[in-house]
Amino acid sequence: MEAAGIVVEGVRRSFGSTHAVRDMTFSAAPGRVTALIGPNGAGKTTLMLMLATLLAPDAGTIRIAGLDPASDAAGVRAALGWMPDVLGSWASLTTRTTLQLTGRLHRMPKDRAAARADELIALVGLEGLADRPTRVLSRGQKQRLSLARALVHDPAVLLLDEPASGLDPEARVELRTLVRRLADDGRTLLVSSHVLAELEEMADDAVYVQEGRTVDPERVAALRTAARPWRLRALDPAALDAALAARGLAGTQDHLGRLVEVADEAAAADLLAALAADGVRITAFGPAAGEFERTFLELAKEQER
Amino acid sequence: MKERILAVGTVVDLELRQRVRSTAWYVLLAVSAALLLIVSVLLLGVAAAVGKEGGPQVFSVIVFFVLLLGSLVTPALSGGAVNGDRDAGTLATTQVTLVTTTQLIVGKFLAAWTASLAFLAVALPFLLLAIVAGGVDPVVVLVALLVTVLELGVVAAVGVGLSSVIARPIFSVVTTYLVVAALSIGTLIAFGLGGVALQTSQTTVERYYSTDADGNPLPGGVCDPEQRTTSQVPRYDRVWPILAVNPFVVLADAVPGQWSKDGYAADAFSGLKAVTRLAQVAPPEPSVYDDCDPARNTSDRRTQEQVVAATTPTWAAGLVLQLVLAVALMLAGGSALRTPAKRLAKGSRIA
Repeated sequence: MEAAGIVVEGVRRSFGSTHAVRDMTFSAAPGRVTALIGPNGAGKTTLMLMLATLLAPDAGTIRIAGLDPASDAAGVRAALGWMPDVLGSWASLTTRTTLQLTGRLHRMPKDRAAARADELIALVGLEGLADRPTRVLSRGQKQRLSLARALVHDPAVLLLDEPASGLDPEARVELRTLVRRLADDGRTLLVSSHVLAELEEMADDAVYVQEGRTVDPERVAALRTAARPWRLRALDPAALDAALAARGLAGTQDHLGRLVEVADEAAAADLLAALAADGVRITAFGPAAGEFERTFLELAKEQER
Repeated sequence: MKERILAVGTVVDLELRQRVRSTAWYVLLAVSAALLLIVSVLLLGVAAAVGKEGGPQVFSVIVFFVLLLGSLVTPALSGGAVNGDRDAGTLATTQVTLVTTTQLIVGKFLAAWTASLAFLAVALPFLLLAIVAGGVDPVVVLVALLVTVLELGVVAAVGVGLSSVIARPIFSVVTTYLVVAALSIGTLIAFGLGGVALQTSQTTVERYYSTDADGNPLPGGVCDPEQRTTSQVPRYDRVWPILAVNPFVVLADAVPGQWSKDGYAADAFSGLKAVTRLAQVAPPEPSVYDDCDPARNTSDRRTQEQVVAATTPTWAAGLVLQLVLAVALMLAGGSALRTPAKRLAKGSRIA
């Protein structure tokens, strides 16, 4: 078993008769960004709370950076940064004071906490608001403060719960760059988000959860080999439809173009070459949905059956 | 050890910056100062008009007033200290730092206590005014301030403890107020009702000199026959310990008595002390009033000073009980906040 990163085995947690987490097993490796994907109510936040040392599991084991939160919560906390999905801040304190006090709560000496606060303010781009009370921050700005607060003690493991919500497109790009850089420094990142396209651009691995359970990686791999829709657009839609019909491909249509089921990437390349040979002037050709989104939707579909 | 104290200091710093230093807080202090000014001026005026030595009376009433103000304001400061943070989403992010649950809850208690002491600080100029007016024993000043500080600490601890145990701030603030009311007013009601509920019958024996038809005594000192009546009397001597936990009684009873030359209370502390101590004295059985043999009379002719000297001091027991309550609630609060949490209170969420 690896000593670093996050290792979760057979974790279960219920609240009275509500089984929030039934059986979760996965690991997240250092130097990689692991996506935590699942519908609302699948148990993602409960899992995050257990990883963040706030909630004890009813059964199963958790190792964060090789330490057990149940027996060494302080050790885990020193190694762990947590950005919760709830955006709380000390409303009457300034951004700078918030970060300084968080540093001091992590037992930093005053001068080091002050220096670290300045670094983080620059890192998340809150310089202009550093000395304003946090109650004036917008949702996206609070999100950045929350990330900075999670990074105060330079933790080896980071839990980010919905880090991108409320961020404008530019801030999202910055977040993605920052997340990648943190992983490249050898940190372990576990990121949950509903913006799957966004998540896909930053994550190396994915853990899918459903009704309190982690989905078996083999099942996910099987879904990946299934046919997937590709989206096509042409200058002359009628010519495109005719060419598709000639190949026996019944496309459906959405507001962005035609959708065609294609088995794999080789088949997609063949189709594009063939359509070009037919003289159809293609303007757009690509998977209709990202990998994460498609797997997520397929799992949801399986669930309904 | 030093590191642990520093961590508590950081929590206190955080609490005071976040919760206390607001405009509403300063307005409240200003209003208290204005009230204290009015009370002091009135008292000094009355004392001057009566011509008595005004200092001790004014001093004691102001201290009572500060205790009243403090016990009205402290629950609002402390009663939402923990669950208010939970509502604002800042409790969990503090708990994942290296601060321990004990440091967190002790820090919050110390901050609430410090904040409530601000009301005492505002009263200091007026207390000084009373001391300057003269006649206040330094020991009285010392003990009265010390006990007031402790009483406010008890309220702060009760508030912080309850705000950790109860999920919603509104309920924990109200519960803290109820505890303060139970100690301050509830004990009075229980004392009054309890004394009446436990009433016993008392025989009253009266004997007078015989008189003629016009009401003049017969010559030679002839006595009427004894008249015996029975009546119900309340037995406060059986319920007096209830008053021991009353914060105002604790304060009054702890301060050394100040007596006039004829043995009566010279300040409000001693007045309340004498009244509550008198409750310890059982009604005589039978109660006798005899004109012909005054030696049989049972009426208590002792001065307040003598009654106090002959009865049991209650403040220490009362204070210890209050401290036990405060510590018990703080411990309960600490165990409710322990992480990683195994059980969650109904309706509460962690982050």
